[in-house]
Amino acid sequence: MGIPTAPCTAINVSEYVRGWDRLYGSGMPLRYTTFPLPIAGVSRQVHQRYVNGNDPVTGKPIMQEIVDALTKPLTADEQLTGLPEGAVEPRLLSPDTEENLQEFFKEKDWTDYLPVVLPTEERVAAMLKGTSHKPDEVVKTLMWPGGGRQLTVEKVAVCAVMAGAKPEYFPVILATATMAPFGNSTTSMANMIIVNGPIRKEIGMNSGTGAMGPHNRPNATIGRAFTLLSKSAGNLHAGVTTFGSLGSNLQYNNCCFAENEEALPEGWEPLSVQFGYKKEDSVVTVGTGWTYVSCVGELVTTYPPQMLIRDYMKSLSGMGSTALLCADPLVAGILYDQGFTTKEMLAQWLSKNVRIPVQQYWGNGIITTGFTNLALQGLEPFATWQKLPPDSLIEPFINPKTINTVVVGGQTNTIWFITDFMIRRGVSIDAWR
Amino acid sequence: MSKLKSQQKATVKAGSAGNITVLNPACSSTMVERVPLTPRIFSSLNGKTIYLVDIGWGGPKAGYDVFEVMQGWFAENIPSVKTVLVRKKGSFHEDDPELWEKIKAEGDACIIGISC
Repeated sequence: MGIPTAPCTAINVSEYVRGWDRLYGSGMPLRYTTFPLPIAGVSRQVHQRYVNGNDPVTGKPIMQEIVDALTKPLTADEQLTGLPEGAVEPRLLSPDTEENLQEFFKEKDWTDYLPVVLPTEERVAAMLKGTSHKPDEVVKTLMWPGGGRQLTVEKVAVCAVMAGAKPEYFPVILATATMAPFGNSTTSMANMIIVNGPIRKEIGMNSGTGAMGPHNRPNATIGRAFTLLSKSAGNLHAGVTTFGSLGSNLQYNNCCFAENEEALPEGWEPLSVQFGYKKEDSVVTVGTGWTYVSCVGELVTTYPPQMLIRDYMKSLSGMGSTALLCADPLVAGILYDQGFTTKEMLAQWLSKNVRIPVQQYWGNGIITTGFTNLALQGLEPFATWQKLPPDSLIEPFINPKTINTVVVGGQTNTIWFITDFMIRRGVSIDAWR
Repeated sequence: MSKLKSQQKATVKAGSAGNITVLNPACSSTMVERVPLTPRIFSSLNGKTIYLVDIGWGGPKAGYDVFEVMQGWFAENIPSVKTVLVRKKGSFHEDDPELWEKIKAEGDACIIGISC
């Protein structure tokens, strides 16, 4: 900015901003002052206590620290220019026993703390035979948490081995790697990996009974590989470069499954086809979200499924107008019989029929943080919604195109899950064969 | 970490037949050019104009309210300071170059936050 500036941050990102931001972000040794949490949703009295209290990291009085940040002469370190040395990672680790290496991988936080398959040269070479792409090809440059880490085909193969995947799964894992790293937010988000197309059958993915549970090797290991590569190649570590307050158990596997395309009602298209691919294309879709709510019990004749789906959607934040319904084929069939002859018709109905009090909408911090400033600047519908009386009903899922449905399950009961996973057009798996 | 590394080295020196070699899953990184801080040309805030910029994290009553409390602190402790409390345009992660120019032209210093 060109004038003395004192940035303020909350304690959860303190370690990142004081170290990593200078190395990989702004390049500046900014003089941060740290505040305790929470900052949102608490009273003026709490804020007064913070301002009159001490920085929880340095122990110094917060206001004195801010005054010092604006007035104290620069140290020699704060005047440095030029490029510091980057962290060079060797391709091979020092030889060691399997037991020591398993512990070493855990110490480095490269695992999910379950045993991994150690990525020997032989195993990685075998994995690389699962694609025609060269080992040094860059799949994606990971920009968060800084450092421009180049995720190569070989690095992805290392993580695929660690996850216990077979070489024939590797094109799917490479395609998911283009969407790496995993979701990272204080709000404790997670990911969902959905596979469509012929590769589901080729590699034996489960789209039927127990597809969303721990009952199938490709479902399990493809999802696990996404987390392992995010943590190891992506350098994501809890409390330093990831900030999920509670974290999400879904990140062990990223809710990886295949759509049960064979059981779709007539006229209902696979997810990938809805987004412009052909049925013969193999596609992986990586969604990001938080919430996963089960209807719990079977459907009843007195209350059609769309009504209960509508009711349960009221518990979602409405962030981005997004919802994703995971429905057993039996549910899809009943919805079809209710007149929803396409997935899009169901989305349009839900978009118009889910209504919540506007105070509930603004009562969620992710909405308030994301959209209040836009409302203050006049952007609709947020500007209008912000002026409404608290009990006014609004339709937060304003865009039916962001309400999606995926059919999965083994037809053992009329069960569905409503989630808030945001999905966009998936990635071609065929491009990574 | 260092303990484990030393364990590894010790094992290598011992030349154990059970050793295996594995690939490193971590990626090399490239760091950015270091940028020096703006020089602090005044040793006191007396008579200065300080902008307090709420980036909007946590909604309209989070950082903004903290900054209002800070205004009270300055009024009580360094009353010659003039404080100007503003909200940044857009969402918390969006740039606001017009505001930065205004602050640079009209302010002596800036306090900005609060990121989470």
